[in-house]
Amino acid sequence: MTTVLESRSVEETRRIAKSMGETAAAGDVFALNGDLGAGKTVFAKGFAEGLGFPYPEDVVSPTFTLLQIYEGGRLTLYHFDVYRMEDASEADGIGMDDYLFGDGVCLIEWAEHVEELLPAGRTQITITRDDAEGPSCRRITVTKNGVAGE
Amino acid sequence: MKILAIDTSGLVCAAAVTDNGQLLAEYRTQLKKTHSQMLLPMLDALRQAIDLDLSTIDCIAVAEGPGSFTGLRIGAATAKGLAFALGIPVVPVPTLDAMAWQLLGEPGTVCPMMDARRGQVYTGLYRFGDTPRTMETLFAPAAVSAEEIAERVNAIGEPAVFLGDGEPVYRETLARVCTVPYRVAPSWKNRQSAAVLADLADVLAGAGGMVDADTFAPVYLRASQAEREAAEKAARAAKTGQTGTGEQID
Repeated sequence: MTTVLESRSVEETRRIAKSMGETAAAGDVFALNGDLGAGKTVFAKGFAEGLGFPYPEDVVSPTFTLLQIYEGGRLTLYHFDVYRMEDASEADGIGMDDYLFGDGVCLIEWAEHVEELLPAGRTQITITRDDAEGPSCRRITVTKNGVAGE
Repeated sequence: MKILAIDTSGLVCAAAVTDNGQLLAEYRTQLKKTHSQMLLPMLDALRQAIDLDLSTIDCIAVAEGPGSFTGLRIGAATAKGLAFALGIPVVPVPTLDAMAWQLLGEPGTVCPMMDARRGQVYTGLYRFGDTPRTMETLFAPAAVSAEEIAERVNAIGEPAVFLGDGEPVYRETLARVCTVPYRVAPSWKNRQSAAVLADLADVLAGAGGMVDADTFAPVYLRASQAEREAAEKAARAAKTGQTGTGEQID
């Protein structure tokens, strides 16, 4: 099931992310893709806010640490940035499974780098620039895979 | 011999101290995977409760794996740090052996299984020997499907006991595949226990099972990616008909 959402501003992107954070459930995995500058970090801040994390402005891409854990919200957020990972075996090396099948919510930037590890029931989010509409316009494509019980 | 034992391989976080086979104290929780925050205060509470002089400990026993990757690292790092600081050896204990050991004396096949996710369990098969305090490994720890281990239990042909957090996950599979009579261990003998681990470590230490802190490393026992994909595919095929809900987001 794919839904395409149009955002006309940074604020709107953040609101969309927030509403997704508000409805996320324990064990959900969100794969977040988008080019540099597409708004992944804005999305992550909104998403963390939606989960009830009290300091969403502190959320930044964990490019160097690979994983940042945000506690204090309704659910724990495991925020990954796996840009630096060459393949799935590296994700294995940091024990990514413990989080993918854990009791919090995973938001994974550059998820395509570790795609084969991700549970089939994940939600794919792709943010693309929509320059024809305007410089701040984004198209957010949300695909929820139908395979249950992962 | 005085042993400080640690098991953080799963949801259970546990530590115990034994002295010549006598349990002095055990602290065990099974609630949240916050072992990194839990373990050291737990060890300190144990130390204070029994007025333990750390210099009297002879070795650190630790669940070497398989298990939760993060959990194994917490246990290994703590065990290595303590052993190094105290200048004493580590006794690595296979997690599944220690789980089976708590049913010591049980007739038939003992099958601990931990949920390894992706359609697999970490499991092994054990039988207690006629000589007291001996255990034979019938199938060494491995990551396999629940179907496979149930078939192996059938092939042995004896009544079986299952335990561990993999059992509830694959209860239906066991019911479907097992042809031998079997039962599930009661809750208080069904998960990791540091007291049990210490008891088995006592046996292993006497049989040359000590290593130095530098040498010790956890045994993750990961299946290869190819094996996992095959297992996942098989698990999905088995579930065909129950899938395809396709919820709408937003």
